[in-house]
Amino acid sequence: MGKKLQIDSILRPEVLVIGAGGAGLRCAVEICERRPGTSIIAVTKVYSPQKSHTAAAQGGMAAVDPKDPVDKIIYHMFDTWKGSDCSSDQNIIKKVCESAWEQILWLERHGMHFSRTEEGRIAKRPFGGHMLNFGKVKAFRACYEADRTGKGIMDTVWAESLKHGVIFLNQSVACELLFRNGRCIGAIVFMEQNGKFLAVLAKATIMATGGKTRMYQVSTNCRQNTGDGLALILQAGLPVMDLEAVQFHPTGIVGPGILASEALRGEGGILRNKDGEPFMERYAPTAKDLAPRDLVSRCIMNEIREGRGCVHPDHKLPHVWLDLRHIPEHVHRTRIQEVCGFFCKFVGVQPQHELCPVTPTAHYQMGGSPTNEFGEVQKDAQEVVPGLYACGEFAAASLHGHNRLGTNSLLELITMGQVVGERVAAYLHDAEAPGDLPQDAGSHVFSQFSRYLASRGKTHYAEIRDALRVLMMEKVGVFRNEKGLAEAIEKLKELKQMARHMKLSSRSLIMNQDLLQFWELDHLLDVSMVIAHCALARKESRGGHYREDYPERSPEFQYHTLAYMTEYGKVTLGRRPIDMSIFEARGEHYEKFGIIERKY
Amino acid sequence: MSQEYDLTLKISRYDPDTQLSWVQVYRLKAGRILRFVDLFRKINDEQDPTLAWSSSCEHGQCGTCGMKINGKPLLTCELLVENAVKFFKTQTFTVEPLTVAPVIRDLVIDMEKAYERVHFVKPHIIQPAPQHPDGDEYRISPRVLETYVEATRCINCFCCATACVTQKNYLGPNALLANIVRLMDPREMAKQERMDILYSDQGTPRCRTAQACSFVCPKEIDIAHFIALAKEGNFK
Ligand SMILES: Cc1cc2nc3c(=O)[nH]c(=O)nc-3n(C[C@H](O)[C@H](O)[C@H](O)COP(=O)(O)OP(=O)(O)OC[C@H]3O[C@@H](n4cnc5c(N)ncnc54)[C@H](O)[C@@H]3O)c2cc1C
Ligand code: SF4
Ligand code: SF4
Ligand code: FES
Repeated sequence: MGKKLQIDSILRPEVLVIGAGGAGLRCAVEICERRPGTSIIAVTKVYSPQKSHTAAAQGGMAAVDPKDPVDKIIYHMFDTWKGSDCSSDQNIIKKVCESAWEQILWLERHGMHFSRTEEGRIAKRPFGGHMLNFGKVKAFRACYEADRTGKGIMDTVWAESLKHGVIFLNQSVACELLFRNGRCIGAIVFMEQNGKFLAVLAKATIMATGGKTRMYQVSTNCRQNTGDGLALILQAGLPVMDLEAVQFHPTGIVGPGILASEALRGEGGILRNKDGEPFMERYAPTAKDLAPRDLVSRCIMNEIREGRGCVHPDHKLPHVWLDLRHIPEHVHRTRIQEVCGFFCKFVGVQPQHELCPVTPTAHYQMGGSPTNEFGEVQKDAQEVVPGLYACGEFAAASLHGHNRLGTNSLLELITMGQVVGERVAAYLHDAEAPGDLPQDAGSHVFSQFSRYLASRGKTHYAEIRDALRVLMMEKVGVFRNEKGLAEAIEKLKELKQMARHMKLSSRSLIMNQDLLQFWELDHLLDVSMVIAHCALARKESRGGHYREDYPERSPEFQYHTLAYMTEYGKVTLGRRPIDMSIFEARGEHYEKFGIIERKY
Repeated sequence: MSQEYDLTLKISRYDPDTQLSWVQVYRLKAGRILRFVDLFRKINDEQDPTLAWSSSCEHGQCGTCGMKINGKPLLTCELLVENAVKFFKTQTFTVEPLTVAPVIRDLVIDMEKAYERVHFVKPHIIQPAPQHPDGDEYRISPRVLETYVEATRCINCFCCATACVTQKNYLGPNALLANIVRLMDPREMAKQERMDILYSDQGTPRCRTAQACSFVCPKEIDIAHFIALAKEGNFK
């Protein structure tokens, strides 16, 4: 033992991008276009930036063409506000919805292969919650590239970053943020493939580490989405916002949790319980199977709890059925082929002839690192951290409030990525150089890794990981209540203690999966603790956050939750007001942006 | 109902610290619909946490988990035990890393190296066509898009490049495909530069039309068809 951990070398680009997904790279390209020649290093945990999880998004990206004869930007703004359960920020809604079409055109001009109409224009499809005339009829608003819209975005921004000479550190993780006098000056990066630590000192640092829901037993998120970014923010003493707002997608494929798109129900798919009853009719007589995601997820969980669910014989997990057998053959063949293929590929079921096992799956974290409308990371409700920016799913500006509409996330990556890029380009103009490596740089991560490398306990990593996932699913999942959340917090403390006594299988630093998982587990435990605390404090139900003991939305909680964690389990809460500038401006239709009912 | 299989996995190992390579045999019981990535995780959890393997999305969308199973390059996140047993007619499997780049550890390869060929062909638009007079998007007829849209589905998993019969001094099927996409994309004006890449001595002249690439592509892209179009001089 006794390997001395040290910083191997120092890199000095002008900009450091942590997370090379859709958001991070859209931002990097914006900087290069505005300020050609800017040196940028982008770090990604995956094997090539192209593998980032943005590439898995299927459905589409919402945008209203200002020249559209029927759809209007104001309708999109309204849907987003309503969908958020009145807790997104109206300055962000306005900014994002107004620049949406321009960003679609940007992608198209940079080579994205959008699906086309007969006239050769970008085609659009309807999506849940997006309506015309303030919630009246469904709108054709989602621009898409077949069922691989995310891949189209990822390929485009990745190829553009290559063109501009962005330097990538792949299979590498940012593991400690660096500060001088409160200004962020870069990060320590651990390169898995050679086991070396680097210090990257930059004038500006952008965090875009994406999703963070791998602490749930069933999740659509990729293996790398372990909440690292939020954990770094918390370690730096900075707040996170609205972490209680986790979106569960109702139809995850049992077992792996892979997303089976809403499109299946859009094409007529029906949810059934173990007795074959189409149970959504009982809960939502009008919208039925097409009710909003959070509602459908709760109904499914309720069926399961009341004993009307099934247990999957292989995965031993509870589920209900999605019935697609009655859907005409040609629809199967032309419109839902890829997603139906998932059932076939991953659970060996033929959807044309057999029932498909589905269960709610953790899909999206609406909360994140709080930023202002320029993507500058906030220290509290008023002040920002100089030099530190955030965008993408990692950040909360917030466009989504407590519930995100489908197709609004990809839109956010691209619009906010652009906004941050613009802001950073301006900042670089007269930003000072970051100076020398701070004296204590690396002290945090080295003490963490030394501890892992010295662990000689008995507990298996997998044991804690699995216990955590079940705990979060059961107590901090679709349904929450005071007792369960309090129990979860106690249990998390126990798990954190157990994690100090794990057994490390190899002490190598090179591509040591076990070592990295120890580090990831700490983050999962940290972020889970904050989610539980935020959920406990919000004694109301709003969007994706549902309290059985407080089933209604309450005006008392009309604010964003801020949370800091200085010591494990010690969470300090604060508030950030919700921006209502559209309402306050009293322009046309302003009344639609008041505190309205969320009814579909 | 839920059948269990007794499986034997013979996995290629490599330790960068000692530079030793060996084949390690793992025996495990697994349900019929576990995927191969689940098997690796099971080995990590129950037998050997040191085994390194790569994946990300785990549903066939990112192309990180390519490996050779009984010699066939495929995505291990898409391979169910039951299907593997049926397809290979055995319950014993050899598991090897793809051969397109050096191994870092066990089943993890240096993807970055493999990607160099894709970077070389410049997957972006080199010189964009002038904008539409209305200032909005370039018009592309669905009929035109249809001719090359299949090729845009590539996820750079490098299964085809591993299967390809030409291994030396060749850009390989997926990199060529990326170039062909832009040759067929009406928004790309730099056709000559793209033709030069295509017909360079690392390009199509080295393809022997054996179609091994199309045969293994997990996205079922007929890569050889696109390369054949190029060989017939269809992009002049
Ligand atoms: C299956 C699925 C389908 C979806 N479909 C849609 C849809 O149709 N429409 C829609 O609008 N939204 C959709 N979403 C949501 C949307 O895709 C995501 O919110 C979005 O892609 C996130 O993009 P991002 O750039 O923020 O993060 P990502 O693309 O996940 O990128 C994060 C980057 O950060 C890196 N990273 C992570 N941790 C570290 C670290 N510690 N150090 C260094 N790098 C790190 C990763 O490697 C990666 O490069 C879907 C999500 C999923 C999971
Ligand atoms: S057809 Fe060409 S690219 Fe495909 S395997 Fe054969 S030699 Fe390789
Ligand atoms: S062409 Fe097919 S096999 Fe080859 S890299 Fe692309 S997806 Fe993989
Ligand atoms: S892990 Fe993404 S394709 Fe297999």
